[in-house]
Amino acid sequence: MAFTFLPALARAQAVRTWGGEPDTPAPTTSASAPPPPPPSPPEPPPVTLGTPVPGSASGPSGPPTTEATPIVRMPGSIGLKYTLEGIEVRGNTTTLARVVLRYVPLHAGDVLDVDDPELELTRFRLLGTGFFRDVQLSLRRGTQRGNVVLVIEVVERNTIIVDDVWLGLSADVDPSGNAQPLTAYGGARVTETNLAGTGVALGGAFAVADQQLALRVRLADPQFLRTNWIAETELLYSAARDFFGNRDVLVDDPTQTFHDFAVAQYKRFGGRVGAGHDLGITSQVFLDYRLEKIDATLPLAASDHRGLDVEPIDFMLVRGSSILSTVSATFVNDTRDGPFLPTRGHHLVASVDGSLTPLGSDYTYAKLVLKGQQWFPLPWGHVLQLEGFVGSVFGNAPLFERFYVGDFSDLLPDRVLDLAFDRRPAPNFLSTDIVEIRYGNYAAKLDAEYRIPLYRGTRSIYGVDVFGSFGVYGLANEVDFVDHARGYTGFATWPVDLTFNAGLRIDTQAGGFVFGVSNLVGLAPVRGVQQGAARP
Amino acid sequence: MRRLRRSGIALALALVALSPLGASAQQPAQPQQPVHPAALPLRQANYAWDKDLLRGSFSYRDVLSDPALIKKLSSGLPMVIAMRAYLYREGEDIPVALAPRVCRVVYDLWDEVFRVHVSEPERERDQAAVLDGVLRICTEARDLPVVRRGLLAAGQPYFLGVVVDVNPVSPEMVEQMRRWMSRPTGSTGIGPGDALFGSFVQLFVRQIATSDKTLTFRTQDVLNVPPP
Repeated sequence: MAFTFLPALARAQAVRTWGGEPDTPAPTTSASAPPPPPPSPPEPPPVTLGTPVPGSASGPSGPPTTEATPIVRMPGSIGLKYTLEGIEVRGNTTTLARVVLRYVPLHAGDVLDVDDPELELTRFRLLGTGFFRDVQLSLRRGTQRGNVVLVIEVVERNTIIVDDVWLGLSADVDPSGNAQPLTAYGGARVTETNLAGTGVALGGAFAVADQQLALRVRLADPQFLRTNWIAETELLYSAARDFFGNRDVLVDDPTQTFHDFAVAQYKRFGGRVGAGHDLGITSQVFLDYRLEKIDATLPLAASDHRGLDVEPIDFMLVRGSSILSTVSATFVNDTRDGPFLPTRGHHLVASVDGSLTPLGSDYTYAKLVLKGQQWFPLPWGHVLQLEGFVGSVFGNAPLFERFYVGDFSDLLPDRVLDLAFDRRPAPNFLSTDIVEIRYGNYAAKLDAEYRIPLYRGTRSIYGVDVFGSFGVYGLANEVDFVDHARGYTGFATWPVDLTFNAGLRIDTQAGGFVFGVSNLVGLAPVRGVQQGAARP
Repeated sequence: MRRLRRSGIALALALVALSPLGASAQQPAQPQQPVHPAALPLRQANYAWDKDLLRGSFSYRDVLSDPALIKKLSSGLPMVIAMRAYLYREGEDIPVALAPRVCRVVYDLWDEVFRVHVSEPERERDQAAVLDGVLRICTEARDLPVVRRGLLAAGQPYFLGVVVDVNPVSPEMVEQMRRWMSRPTGSTGIGPGDALFGSFVQLFVRQIATSDKTLTFRTQDVLNVPPP
C-alpha cells in the first residue's frame, strides 16, 4: 500500500525510485580484478555546470514552474536546502503510511537540509520499529523549483515475534502432597508487533505445568494518540498452586492424604493499564495500575518445621476471594550496546509498587526493587558482567509479589508468568538457614558473569557466547533478623547461598536463547540433607 | 559436593579449552585499518616523487560497481566515499603514514548536476559534475600526497593498504543508533526489561553496518625510496 501526500499534479509525475538496496549486510569486497590505475597528471577537468538556463531542467519531474530559487548552496560543504513539498511512502503493503510518518520529524513546508543528520536518524528510527527489513530515503523534485518530495521506501518484514520460550523439568508434588518424580513445564510468549499495520503490538503468553496454567494478553501502542507516550494494557489469568514445607508437614486439608507438603491453590484474574514516557535517549519511566481478583483455596491449617520449632505456615494469600489493587512506577536507564549479548553499558531498573486499602486492595504492602547490570569489554575480546539486586517488601503482599528463592538460584527453575513449578528448597551450599525460606520480603544478590564470544554473524544467528557465572544471594523475612530459626548458630543464621551457571548464550533472528547446565546440576542430588541442617 | 566439584572442574576445563577458539572466531565489526595488509589483493598503482613527497595514483572505481549504489548517488541525499590509504613497510603490520581522501556527493535535483566536495591532505575543493565526472573525482586517487621521504627508510620496500568505505557511519553515530535501538523509544517496545524488545530490536542493530560497502586492497611496492 503506497500512500502519497501530494497534490494530484505531483502524483501524475513519473515515479523515480532511488536506493532500494537488497537486505544484505554491507558487503566487504577485496578487489581481485582491479581497474587500471588512472594516469598521472594532468587531471581532466570535471564537467562543471552553472545555473541552468531557465526552462532547461527536464526529466521526470517536468520543467520548473518558477524561477524563484530557494535552493541554498554554501561553500565548503554540500549545503543544499530545499522546501519540503510532501512526504511519500512507498512499499508499505501492511503498515499504514501514517504509522511510518510518525517517525519522520519533517512536515510539508519545512526547509530540508540534505546534510541534516535527522534524515539518517529517521531511517534508523524506522528500522528500529521492527516493521521493516529495509528503509531507504530519497528526494525527488516537487512541483516548483526548489521544492522536493521526500520519498520513504520501505520493505516490510514479518512482525510476529517469539519473545520467550520456556521448557524445563521441575520437582513437583502430586495432588495428595506426595513428592513425585520430575515433571515438565513449558510456555511461550508471542507478539505481533505491528497489528494490522497500525504499529500497535498485540502479544500473548502462556505457561503450563502439572495442574497449573497462566495466560497473558497484552496490547501496547508505542505512540498513543500520536504522542510520545507508550500506552499498554494487559489481561491475566492464572490457575496456580504453590508448595510449602519439605517433609513432616502437618496439614489439615481433607484433599491432601499425605503430608509431605502443603499445597495452596489459587486463581487470579485481572488486568493492568500503564503508560510510559521517554526521559531522554537512554531513560524511560512507566506508570501502571493493576486490579486483580484472587480466589485462594488453602488448607484449613498447616504447620512446618522452622529450625527445631514447629510453626504455622503462612500461605501469603487471603483465604477465599480477595482483591489486589496496586499502582507502580518503574524507571529504566539503558545504555547497553545490544540487548542480548551486550559488551558495554549498563541497565538499571528501579521500581516501586504500592497496594493500599484506599485503592480497594485486601493486601496492604509496598515493594521496592533496584537492579543494576554493568558490562565491561575486556581487552582480549571477552566480556565481564556485574549484577546487583536489592529488593524489599513492606507489609502483607501476596506470595507471587514476594521474592522467590528460585528467581535467585540458578539451580532452581525461575518463576514463569508468576507460576512456581518447583517444590525444592535452596541448594544450601553454605549450610545456612536459607533452606528454611521459600519466599522472602528482603532479597539481595551479587553476580558476575564472564562471556567468551565464539561466533558473530549477521544472518540468522547473530552471536554465540559461552558463559560462566557465579553469585551469592540472600533471602529473608523480618523474623529471620530478629528471631533466628532455632538450631542455627553463627554464620548459619545468615540466610545466604551460592549460585552458579554455565553454558551458551545464543542470539538468533528468532530471539535469544540460553542453554545452561545449572538446571541439570540442580536436578542432581548435590544438595545434601533436603530438610536443612537443623532438622531433627 | 564431590560431584559438584567435579562438574566445576569440567566446566573450567571446557572454558579454558574454548577460550582460544573464541578469540579466533570473534569477528570485529569493522576493521579500523587492514589487519594483515600484505595479504590483501594486489592492485596496481602509480607512484611519483614530487621533490621529497611521494604521491600515488590508483583507482577504486569498482567500489561503486553495484547498480544500487549508482542509483543511490542520485537520491538527492549525500553519499560519502571515504578512502584511507595506509603506507606499510613490507613485512610489517603497523602503518607509517595515512593518506585519507573523502568525497561527498549530492545530486542537485533542480540543477541536475552532482555537487561534489573533495577533501584530501593538501586540497579541498567543491565541484559540479555529471555522473562520469563524479566517478572520476570520487573513485580515483590522482597524485595523492602519501608521505614525506624523511619518514621512510631508504632502500626499503613500502606499499599502500587501502580501505574504501561508501557511506561510512562514524563510531559515535553507530553507538548512538545502537543505543537508540536497544531501547523502546518510539517503537513497539512493550515494556522495560521485556525480552520482546531485546530479541526484536537486535535484528536491526545487526543490520546497521558501518558502511554501505567496503573495498580493501593493497598496491605493489614502492621500491625506489631514494636516500634523503
